[in-house]
Amino acid sequence: MIFLYIGLPLAVAAVLPLAGKASKKVLPDLLSNAVLAGLLVYAATGARALLAQGPIIQQVRWFGDAVNIRIALDGFSLFMLMAIQLVSLCVALYSINYMEHYGAKANYHALLLVMVAGMNGLVLSQDLFSVYIFLEVAAVASYALVAYGLEAEELEASFKYLMLSVVASAAVLVSIAILYGMTGALGFDEVAAGLRLLDANVVVGVAAALFLMGFGLKAALMPFHAWLPDAHPSAPAPISAILSGLLIKVSGVYAITRIFFHVLGMTPALSQILMWLAAVSIVLAAFLALGQTDMKRMLAYSSISQVGYVVLGIGLGTPLGVAGGLFHLFNHALAKSLLFFTSGSVQQATGTRNLNEMGGLAKRMPWTAGTNLVGSLSIAGVPPLGGFWSKLVIIIALVQSGEAALAVIAVLASVLTLWYYLILQRKAFFGKLAEQWARVKEAPFWMTAASVILAVLVIGVGLWFATIFSSWIQPAAETLTRGF
Amino acid sequence: MTAQIILLVALVGASAWAILARDLLKSAIALAVASLLLGIIFFQMGAPYAGVFEISVVAGLITVLFMLTIALTKQGGDVRESKVVKIAFPVFFVLFAAIDVFVMKGVLARIPAIAATPEAGTFGEVLWKERSFDLVGQLAVILAGVFAVLALFRKKDHHD
Repeated sequence: MIFLYIGLPLAVAAVLPLAGKASKKVLPDLLSNAVLAGLLVYAATGARALLAQGPIIQQVRWFGDAVNIRIALDGFSLFMLMAIQLVSLCVALYSINYMEHYGAKANYHALLLVMVAGMNGLVLSQDLFSVYIFLEVAAVASYALVAYGLEAEELEASFKYLMLSVVASAAVLVSIAILYGMTGALGFDEVAAGLRLLDANVVVGVAAALFLMGFGLKAALMPFHAWLPDAHPSAPAPISAILSGLLIKVSGVYAITRIFFHVLGMTPALSQILMWLAAVSIVLAAFLALGQTDMKRMLAYSSISQVGYVVLGIGLGTPLGVAGGLFHLFNHALAKSLLFFTSGSVQQATGTRNLNEMGGLAKRMPWTAGTNLVGSLSIAGVPPLGGFWSKLVIIIALVQSGEAALAVIAVLASVLTLWYYLILQRKAFFGKLAEQWARVKEAPFWMTAASVILAVLVIGVGLWFATIFSSWIQPAAETLTRGF
Repeated sequence: MTAQIILLVALVGASAWAILARDLLKSAIALAVASLLLGIIFFQMGAPYAGVFEISVVAGLITVLFMLTIALTKQGGDVRESKVVKIAFPVFFVLFAAIDVFVMKGVLARIPAIAATPEAGTFGEVLWKERSFDLVGQLAVILAGVFAVLALFRKKDHHD
């Protein structure tokens, strides 16, 4: 019953404000975590078993009557569902302590669940217009979550995010309208079949350019990245984690990948454009991250750079390249969420995000410092952590395809990544403990627990990379590369 | 044809006025006028349902909400706009107008299309039976909107 991924979070979100009247904190935390844990277990066990027989197209029934809701699960969408439920569950766990002082927890969890339902709906959708609708579901919830603290900085960041996101949605909608006008269909397969009948390379090129602009904005690919360094640091830490870890990947990378591979078809020209945009993102965002003194802003620039790696692998279009890109998507989702958690813990303990004011915090916050180191090293691509293997696969795929220049860029930018993460680690956690932080305490239990879970996963993915790669990543990549 | 061109030009004019007007109330009215014109264009182009929604919801309901919000907002706290915005809008406006005049007609004429099949059913049938999944999404957007309003207009706790 894969409709549960959309229906259950929505149903629980709808009753959460009422539940919040009965119990302001415990019940919202409990319900939200229980829903996400249930969906995660279902993705890892039930849905996976279902998929063993091949892609599933589900027709939803309502009191015995068929309702025209057709959603589909294949290797790629199951992989995304796993990533979404996993990171969202950790976010909900972290929020138990972190969101205490924000108040209105029931509302917060309701918005979080709507955002998760939006992302799940987008991933399961088989229709261009439904993709647009669920894109908006996740986006509307995320605007409110970015501004949740109600401070001027947060409201401004949310407004800027809203404005640029609306431009992205408009570009996507225009492109959908063009394709609908040409083929009279909206379903992925029907539009793809219609386009094969028409000689419409120029117009398909225009549609592809609009999708690239729209989803590129959502994925914060350079030169469409301007909103992200404001929006992500301003949001509450768990929301920064889910935005950077998941949302930009689901509403940007997933959507563009699915449409380019399954609807428009991945042409060599499109592949080159994607790869070079990705390469520019990787390098420029890494340099910009290097100059940051705001801890969360540095992480935000790092997200732009790392999404570049994901797009670089997927844009290459070979089975190994796509697998590498997807694997990096998963590794980055885990590690970046972890880093936003640790930065949130530091901010809550010290009241600052300025790296120049920190120092020596490892002595007072050993768990936070340790988990932060694991996340940093994974993203920087240090063996044997997950990020190392995914970058290695991408680089091998690039070399195999004769893209030596891009492979060199990927390797050199990885060194830059390691550089700025070591700066972050040194300035925040190493060195002499400043006197004003002498009374700082380790983060509360659930915040630390969520960080530790993600750190263990980052290490686990690195150690058991061969099993995970063959059982989760390759089936997802195969779905994409054989799809068109 | 002439009527349509007049309507389209007036639509662009009203939209530009909505952006350029310094007074929020005038801006809201200009937006309502733009929506009304768009609704009429929808009617003329054979999309009566889109026209009805555009006029009743966007030109009507949303304008009322804007007016209410403006009436409830206190004076003061003016935000100064940066000069870039003042320059950027006219530049982009002229650019888009030029693209529209010189390029769009040619491009639109060249879009090939598969011959349209007859409509699958009435508006209601299409909405409820064909696009049921989108209705779930609509429901979710409304939920998100309601929660967003509840969250952003909440009274902050005293220890915030």
